[in-house]
Amino acid sequence: MTERVRILYLDDEEQNLFAFKALFRREFDVFTTTSPHEAVAYLSQYTVPLIFSDQKMPGLSGVEFFELTTREFPESVRILITGYADIEAVIDAINKGQVYRYVTKPWDENDLRICVRNALQRFYDQRELRERNKRLEEANADLERFIYSASHDLRAPLVSIKGIVNLARMEGLDEKATNYLAMIERSTNRLDQFVQNIIHYYQNLKADEIITEVNPGELLDELYEQYRHHEGAEFMAFRRDITEAVPFKVDRNRLKVVLSNLLSNAIRFREPSRQQPEVMVRILNKEGRVVIHADDNGQGIAAEAIPSLFDMFYHATDKSLGTGIGLYIVREALRRMGGTISVASEPGKGSRFTIELPERP
Amino acid sequence: MSDKPLRIFLVDDNEIDLIVNEKLLRISGLTDTVERFASATDFLQRFDGLVDASSYRNVLLLDIMMPGLNGFECAQAISERPAERRAGFQVFVLSSSIDRNDIARASAIPLVGRVLEKPLDTYLLKGLINP
Repeated sequence: MTERVRILYLDDEEQNLFAFKALFRREFDVFTTTSPHEAVAYLSQYTVPLIFSDQKMPGLSGVEFFELTTREFPESVRILITGYADIEAVIDAINKGQVYRYVTKPWDENDLRICVRNALQRFYDQRELRERNKRLEEANADLERFIYSASHDLRAPLVSIKGIVNLARMEGLDEKATNYLAMIERSTNRLDQFVQNIIHYYQNLKADEIITEVNPGELLDELYEQYRHHEGAEFMAFRRDITEAVPFKVDRNRLKVVLSNLLSNAIRFREPSRQQPEVMVRILNKEGRVVIHADDNGQGIAAEAIPSLFDMFYHATDKSLGTGIGLYIVREALRRMGGTISVASEPGKGSRFTIELPERP
Repeated sequence: MSDKPLRIFLVDDNEIDLIVNEKLLRISGLTDTVERFASATDFLQRFDGLVDASSYRNVLLLDIMMPGLNGFECAQAISERPAERRAGFQVFVLSSSIDRNDIARASAIPLVGRVLEKPLDTYLLKGLINP
């Protein structure tokens, strides 16, 4: 036999308790008491889906009783029984979310039954919601663990390959082997870029941020050093203007993800006919905000492509070798940082990406 | 400027990376004195003998994700050795992880000079090693 659903009813008037019990004893396991102390003892012992309490009691009001017990027994659905005179205090309690609804005295038996049925439905709905949330949280935690281990397990062998390629090149090889090696490197870099993008995407989803002071010059040194060796960057000029920039506090990792994507795009979409492809990053501080312009003299972006440019898996050209998530990650990372990005571009001439970020205290 | 020769310790559970990095260090002309350790435990067991009796400038390149003692724990253990044992001893983390928590955690260890991404960039390393 399944256990009957428990209902607790607290009231200082014995008559009400009797009447209530008589009404519900066949369907439910009804516990009535005039003592808040006993009520709490009962709640500590059993799972009680519904708690009824009279509002006007000597010593402690019903609203006060709920205020004191909601934190400890959050799952129960609470209902006040009250005379018309106390309605204001009750409505306040309902608005604060402590009380599900109220029943006025003297009660109508039918109304009371309906109230119990609805409250019980509410209890089951909330319980299901809690369970679903818990399962979702577990699934999320699993996913995070997977991303973490994938980030290592997938990248470790990739960077080993890159190391071997570097080594082989330093040791000196004939022309054929050098060409094959270059192809291996290109493929490895593309795969690595994709793995990194996926990792960045999931890391960005996580809410935690790490705010540190960023020195604009050092940041650009680090990025330029990294991208100078990229495929296609052989003739690229990496310029900067940080004359109006001072160190600022932001989530450095997220900013690096943003700028890395812009740099790698500037390289990938350089204009091949140009004698001197270049990218120019200008950083300045303005009224508590950091403004970053990234200009290039590359292929530019067609006007019709600009509205979708930051969408996931959007490819502005069919020649694109990208993963289609780079600029999406950029926009999402900036959104998390409270920043914005915009782009102005002229096909054949180049593009200007403008980032604005709030400085953190 | 010290006239002591440079010695580099590599601690990494990945054998290929150990071999490749040792060769890269030699070919780059940084040093011919490279010692490889397949685990942090191996390295720590020999740490006192190695560094104490040393007439070298010592540099450690430390991987993070390793079975047994990981790189964080290894760096922590070295930090707890007496200061005179660690004098002039430089530690760099060398990892394939781009997990921001890993990087922040490694950077937060005072002993760690810099967190480097694999593959090893010997040119960058050269600039970081104390003359």
